[in-house]
Amino acid sequence: MTAVTEKVPERPPVKGTEDSGLLRFVKKPIVARLLFPTLVIALWVFVDSLEISRVFPAPDRVLGFMWDELRLETLARTNLYETLGISLLRLFAGFAVSMVVGTAIGLGMGLSKSVDAFFHDWVMAILAMPALVWALFLGLVFGFGSTGPVLATILAGIPFVIINVREGVRNTPRELFDMASAFDVPRNRMTRHLLIPSLMPFMFAAARYGFSVGWKGLVLAEVFASDRGMGWMIKFWYDAHRSFAVVGYAFFFVIFAFFLEKFVFDKLYARAFKWRPAVGAIELVEEEIQESFIDALDPEGAQTLPDRDRLGDN
Amino acid sequence: MTAVQERHEEPTKSAEEQRLEAAARKEKQLKWFWRIMGYITVLGVWEFAIADILGLATGRTLDENLLPGPLRIVETFPDIVASGRFFTSFGATLTRIGVGFGIALILGTAIGLLTQIKWFENFFRDFQTVGLTAPGLVWALVGLIIWGFKPMGWIFPIVMVTFALVSVNIAEGVRSLPKDLIDMAKAFGTPQLRRQREIVIPHLAPFIFTAIRFGFSIGWKVTVLTEVFSSNEGIGFEMRVASQLFRLDEFFTWVLSFFVFALFLEKVVLQYFERRFFHWRQEVATA
Repeated sequence: MTAVTEKVPERPPVKGTEDSGLLRFVKKPIVARLLFPTLVIALWVFVDSLEISRVFPAPDRVLGFMWDELRLETLARTNLYETLGISLLRLFAGFAVSMVVGTAIGLGMGLSKSVDAFFHDWVMAILAMPALVWALFLGLVFGFGSTGPVLATILAGIPFVIINVREGVRNTPRELFDMASAFDVPRNRMTRHLLIPSLMPFMFAAARYGFSVGWKGLVLAEVFASDRGMGWMIKFWYDAHRSFAVVGYAFFFVIFAFFLEKFVFDKLYARAFKWRPAVGAIELVEEEIQESFIDALDPEGAQTLPDRDRLGDN
Repeated sequence: MTAVQERHEEPTKSAEEQRLEAAARKEKQLKWFWRIMGYITVLGVWEFAIADILGLATGRTLDENLLPGPLRIVETFPDIVASGRFFTSFGATLTRIGVGFGIALILGTAIGLLTQIKWFENFFRDFQTVGLTAPGLVWALVGLIIWGFKPMGWIFPIVMVTFALVSVNIAEGVRSLPKDLIDMAKAFGTPQLRRQREIVIPHLAPFIFTAIRFGFSIGWKVTVLTEVFSSNEGIGFEMRVASQLFRLDEFFTWVLSFFVFALFLEKVVLQYFERRFFHWRQEVATA
């Protein structure tokens, strides 16, 4: 729980307030949230108006560039959608391979201590290796094709998959397996009803990390080891000395990653664990009890509880 | 009767213990055997077979200049030290990590502490999300294009990539603050500053340490990345030069020497300080 009643003495009561209209407006959570981007944009416009440098990316030019890209008007050899398509194809190919191979190795490591000892140190080494190294090296070995970026995606993502699956296998409820074998449950039913459901959260974490880390690895590899794709494109604009285009593409990156996190993975998560209301429900119940408890103690404090979606966020 | 049983129990118990001990020892031996097998297999494949495998995959012959084995890398290491750039490069990169990550640590801790107030949690939320999701490449290029080779050109990307990790970790600790202690302190009229110093900071200390370790592991990678684009010294710069000259033996030697050094700092030095720092705290030390 956050320090719920922080500054309670100074805080005026929320309902039947004596605040002036402006202060009450500023205190709204949504205003607090929107205030930050607004301030950043204001600062950006202000610095631009000083005209200290000709290469400084002006807000209007960045927006103009982004709008042109969205309307397929571009000077580069592939437009935004083609570029995104190429990168996504590579990302999915690399992601699929790292999920399959990573799950196999992770299962082996979770089930057998010998396999674990065999792979452990090397998985950790690959995990700690910067994606930049793969990008530079694969570019030299495979030239400017799709092989380098796809391999970079695999190498960046696979350690996360392996480690998560291994943890998942180690966390399977042993007593349930014992009970199932005592009641002569067939092996394939055991796999379907016990192993897979208990692995699911870990597989999901594996997919999420593998995907986001793989995306970063892919982008970097495209800069050094490709002649197409999102990473190459940002390098292209950089080489063309168009700072507004670099910043514009950076925005596309952020928007894409944000979209992936918020809409794809959060939705998938909600769907994959729909059958499992227990975990979330218990937490929610606890939250509610605490909330009403705090509510009873001090009415203002209840307002400052962290909301649910934030907790699962990072 | 009971006496006899007791006397019998004593040796059987120790026999059981012996058996368990032997099993544990055997398991440990087996583990080490497979671990060493792992090293031999990976290094062996790398030294003798990987060039052929990649050669088949690409349809080109890869000589040992393009894909040096581990022996060649060990041989190159003294050359790099002798070249005189070794210590200056390490020094340059470490200085950058120190400055960039130091700023990120202060900024991230400040933001993390401010999230005690709900309003600031909302205020900084998108800042953190953007910091966590945007690739380091984006910040490196944006920093470079705005500031060029000036210090801000590399400080900016390092800070942008690592501050969010720090602040998110500390915000995690803020969420688990001992509310009862704070309430009590408030009830006794303890001033805000003292509350922060004597309740909040000690509670957050383990989270701050996790943040440092976590942030450092990301921070040195971003630093090397920025050096590739916007520097004329440091590990990243040496990596770029070596790869542009197709000197992969030097490339791997630079990478691996710094890689080993960074892992040493992360796993040995930082963890040593963490353990020493929390010596007095049972629950943290055992966790």
